[in-house]
Amino acid sequence: MSQRIVVDPITRIEGHLRIEAEIKGGKIEEAYSSGTMVRLIEEILRGRDPRDAWAFVGRVCGVCTSVHSTASVRAVEDALGIVIPPNAEMVRNLMFCAQNIQDHVVHFYHLHALDWVDVVSALKADPKRTSEIAQSISNWPKSSPGYFSDLQKRLTKFVESGQLGIFANGYWGHPAYKLPPEVNLIGVAHYLEALEWQKEIVKVHTIFGGKNPHPNYLVGGMACSIGLDDTSGINAERLSYVLTVLKQAKEFVEQVYVPDLLAVAPYYLDWGAIGGGLGNYLVYGDLSTTSYREPKNFKFPAGAILNKDLSKIHEVDLRSDNEVQEFISHSWYEYAGGDGVGLHPWKGETKLNYTGPKPPFEHLNIDEKYSFLKTPRWKGHAMEVGPLARVLVGYASGRPDYKEVVDSVLKKLNIPATALFSTLGRTAARGLEALLVAQWSLEFYEQLITNIKNGDTRMAATEKFQPDTWPKQAMGVGHTEAPRGALAHWIVIEDQKIANYQLVVPSTWNASPRDKEGKSSAYEAALKDTPIADPNQPVEILRTIHSFDPCLACAVHLYDEDGKHISKVKVL
Amino acid sequence: MKESNILILGVGNYLMGDEGLGVHVARALKDESLPEGVDVLDGGTAGFQLMEYLEKYQIVIMIDATLDKNPVGTIRLIEPKFSQDFPKAMSTHEIGLKDLVESLALLGKLPKIYLYVMTVQDIANLHIGLSPLVESRAIHLKRDILQLAEELCTTAGSPV
Repeated sequence: MSQRIVVDPITRIEGHLRIEAEIKGGKIEEAYSSGTMVRLIEEILRGRDPRDAWAFVGRVCGVCTSVHSTASVRAVEDALGIVIPPNAEMVRNLMFCAQNIQDHVVHFYHLHALDWVDVVSALKADPKRTSEIAQSISNWPKSSPGYFSDLQKRLTKFVESGQLGIFANGYWGHPAYKLPPEVNLIGVAHYLEALEWQKEIVKVHTIFGGKNPHPNYLVGGMACSIGLDDTSGINAERLSYVLTVLKQAKEFVEQVYVPDLLAVAPYYLDWGAIGGGLGNYLVYGDLSTTSYREPKNFKFPAGAILNKDLSKIHEVDLRSDNEVQEFISHSWYEYAGGDGVGLHPWKGETKLNYTGPKPPFEHLNIDEKYSFLKTPRWKGHAMEVGPLARVLVGYASGRPDYKEVVDSVLKKLNIPATALFSTLGRTAARGLEALLVAQWSLEFYEQLITNIKNGDTRMAATEKFQPDTWPKQAMGVGHTEAPRGALAHWIVIEDQKIANYQLVVPSTWNASPRDKEGKSSAYEAALKDTPIADPNQPVEILRTIHSFDPCLACAVHLYDEDGKHISKVKVL
Repeated sequence: MKESNILILGVGNYLMGDEGLGVHVARALKDESLPEGVDVLDGGTAGFQLMEYLEKYQIVIMIDATLDKNPVGTIRLIEPKFSQDFPKAMSTHEIGLKDLVESLALLGKLPKIYLYVMTVQDIANLHIGLSPLVESRAIHLKRDILQLAEELCTTAGSPV
């Protein structure tokens, strides 16, 4: 006999996600993932000036504002044949790096760590022993017994006051938590330090984007001006501040984030065989050392891996009519051509048709439509996107920098490369990626400085900015790699206005419902066979779902009638 | 060390009709003549990125839309000390902002927060702009905020 449990919403993510899981014999037999909010950003954009789209898409989410804006300006530039100057390429790269590192650190400590770190257990830690462990894994200076003892006192006061707040939603004391109290205390300490640290790195966006949150982008380049001696704009002082925070970021990732990952992982090595899922990985690529138009120079090479076969990287073409397609057989939408067809985003349609039960309902009807997410497929395959996909494609491409970090972690943890296809692998890949990006950010910085010193201060190409220079009709695609995976925007411009605009976002790839053949997408596939120790406290579901870093705010939007945010668990 | 005095911080998603109330009011306040030491920020849908601002100011006057059982257009002033004092249905900025408030409390760096919320209804329609009733009430809200900011300024210097 199986029982169905419902976790709705999944907490500690942006946006709303509902997971239902059939459990049999202590394991998940089938899982269903449903985006329970609706997004209609495409409809808001229709008829607007394409040069303004970046500002609207930047508002769909509080986390990925800059990657959406990047994809948007690139889509318009692609449609109009605009080539941006080298400085703008490097500034976009630096903003990408800052967001990627900030997001990975925040995700690890603030959204994911509490699935592995038991906060309440940290109260029992011995500060002296904690200090010894901390000093054995890293040179990070904040590691004295007094430091941990102070923190523990503050934490105790916090917990005793009944204000568990951020820590309220954990399954504290669950047998699946394996860390000793001292490692838990290190986790809590770094939770708070990461928060302090991240407020510096976001200043890269304030400097280059003019403001933060929601920095400015520009079709044709970037909206900042460079003059080393200027009092306003990007001057020598501001550039040197950027360098300082990039170095701090590298230091934090090297001395805190990665050592913590390596300290926690040995207690959870069984998760190297859980949560693998599809084994198909997709990367659009980004971070070119020259130009976005030269994919061969991407630090994140593009490509697809099928069936965990690292010996073959498949080419990906976002313009091809039959590669990226979105299906709606299980999604609350309708297509003019019927439910059976898949549409390339240039021909994409966004027409809602909610046919589900009136909320609150007990269970999704998974034989019918059951999500506000469409189901994207690449050449018909369900694909996983995200840091694991990027690390695997880079590793399989034989890039030395990827080889070095991946092999060193596999060796330290004494696990085979196949352990990468898992919840543990996904979590580790995020940390390794942050490490690589932190290193690359300094290279991009050097390139920017060299270019400026050589006398090139151009930041935008303006020849094709005026609509009277545009063709009557144009189509473009702009892609990037959001922290949680491949992101692209497709635009159709007609008579100087947006005629169609489609976003295919990373969490749509990962969290979508099954396709018409019944094939699961990444979340559903990864949850299959996951052991559940206690169906009333399914922390195991959170571990795997959080390992994807879900961000549903742009995948879907809205609706929460009474503001209830409690996880509910139903036993059949 | 707190450098500046008062920040008026509008939050919300302006792609979602009345959900963007905080952003609309913040933008309108930027055009007003504000007392010395009062800044205005359109916080949009941000969460943790707002940390810098919450640390920097002694007082933060936050503006947001809420879905609750009060009549549409009801304006309430809350002085939250913990994240649980925030209205539950503060819409999409669920993770960032509340977690940030908790963490700042734990770090002992939480500014004094005045939270203005207005009950809204029309957030299911994805469009830009406020519904007529909310828009007319937003003028009152703006006036209330200005008044509070001025009062706080005249008592500036006293411990907060």
